[in-house]
Amino acid sequence: MPTALLRLSMDLVAAYDLWAFVSENWRELLDALLNTLKVSLIAIAGAFAIGLVLGAARAHRIPVVSQVTAVYVEIIRNTPILVQIFMLFFALPQVGIRLDAFTTAWLSVMLWGGAFNSENFRAGFEAVPERYREAGLALGFGRFATFLNVTLPIGGRISLPSSINTYISVVKNTSLMYVIGYPELTTTAINIANLTLETLEALTVLGIVYLTLVWGLSASIRLVESRLALPEER
Amino acid sequence: MPDWAEPVIRYILEVGLPATLRVSAIAVVGSTAIGIVLGTLLTVHSTLLRAPIRAYLEVFRGLPILVTVFMVYFGLPAINSSLEFGPLTATAIALILWGSAQVAEATRGAVQSIPREQHEAAAALGFGWVGRHRSVILPQALRRLLPPLVNLLVNIIQNSTLAAVIGGIELLQAGKSQSERLTFYPPAGIGEIHAFEIFAFIALVFFLISFPLTRLAAYLEKRLV
Repeated sequence: MPTALLRLSMDLVAAYDLWAFVSENWRELLDALLNTLKVSLIAIAGAFAIGLVLGAARAHRIPVVSQVTAVYVEIIRNTPILVQIFMLFFALPQVGIRLDAFTTAWLSVMLWGGAFNSENFRAGFEAVPERYREAGLALGFGRFATFLNVTLPIGGRISLPSSINTYISVVKNTSLMYVIGYPELTTTAINIANLTLETLEALTVLGIVYLTLVWGLSASIRLVESRLALPEER
Repeated sequence: MPDWAEPVIRYILEVGLPATLRVSAIAVVGSTAIGIVLGTLLTVHSTLLRAPIRAYLEVFRGLPILVTVFMVYFGLPAINSSLEFGPLTATAIALILWGSAQVAEATRGAVQSIPREQHEAAAALGFGWVGRHRSVILPQALRRLLPPLVNLLVNIIQNSTLAAVIGGIELLQAGKSQSERLTFYPPAGIGEIHAFEIFAFIALVFFLISFPLTRLAAYLEKRLV
């Protein structure tokens, strides 16, 4: 039996041709990668804006906005993102809201990333010592100017590593758009594999591309951390 | 409650929920067991031993879990037909690959946070490497490991929905199949769309499971650190 298994695996190794797979499908794969990047960039920009505004509102305990944000964060954190995608794409049409696959793709990961990011920013802003803010106010800055000139530059840097981690998860979560058929990387690679039966080649491409993106982003954390470190920690 | 709701809820809670809980339980136990061993080995001084574990960690933490699910469900049978698993088993395996990497990273940190005097004292008492870690170091590290393990449980429960992508009937897929059934004409369905109510109910079930656990993790983090 082991020899039979071994022969099977050997046949497979002989048939495996990553280069042929890439050279025959590189156009589709490149388009798919661009779609993954497009959705990721829109979602990351949106998650940054949501996180910044809602995180600041939470850290400064602004009434109503603060409570609404808390509910939003708890709902997103305590339900699977796949269920959220199903809600947007399969459930909303019932109440008259029809989103196409592209809109669902960036909107779902943006709402997800925004919730996690508002927690990242809240923690960062709350970590800024109270006396810094008091100093800003004593210098005659208004509340908003104090936030802009004191809390944001310091708290923003504190929350940078955790928010980049959230962006990494946003990129990884774009793979879930397979369930709504949006032609990003995972959907495209698996669809090609279903046509050509080159399953292993397709999975290899997926692995290499995602690991490159994710490892590249996490390397950027270290780079950004050392460049933007607060002077006293340098 | 409308007539259509009762059989739908029953199917979701009697077929979907047990499958979600079973996959999650297997994945959490497997991830914890493998992760603690790998994480402890990561504190060993031999680079030769650490390098492959590090590679395993970086790969499975870096890949989207869905891609790992596809690797197990589509990739393994393509390598060898005896490695064919059902959708729920394949999801559990993928979650263990991802979860054990998470646990290993947390364990490494927890073990390294134990003062070196503890190692020395245990060695002086005559413990070998295994005995020292099993009886002295890991019981202390476990305290620090508790909050990340509760978070892992939440993440694994939520990510078990990935089984729905490959057709495994857990909570989400149970809801999806019921919402599709209702759109059929009688006798199978009622010719109506109730996707909104059904997916909102699925979300509620997940919320009711996850919310107490995330509170617990936050509480443990405050108490133990």
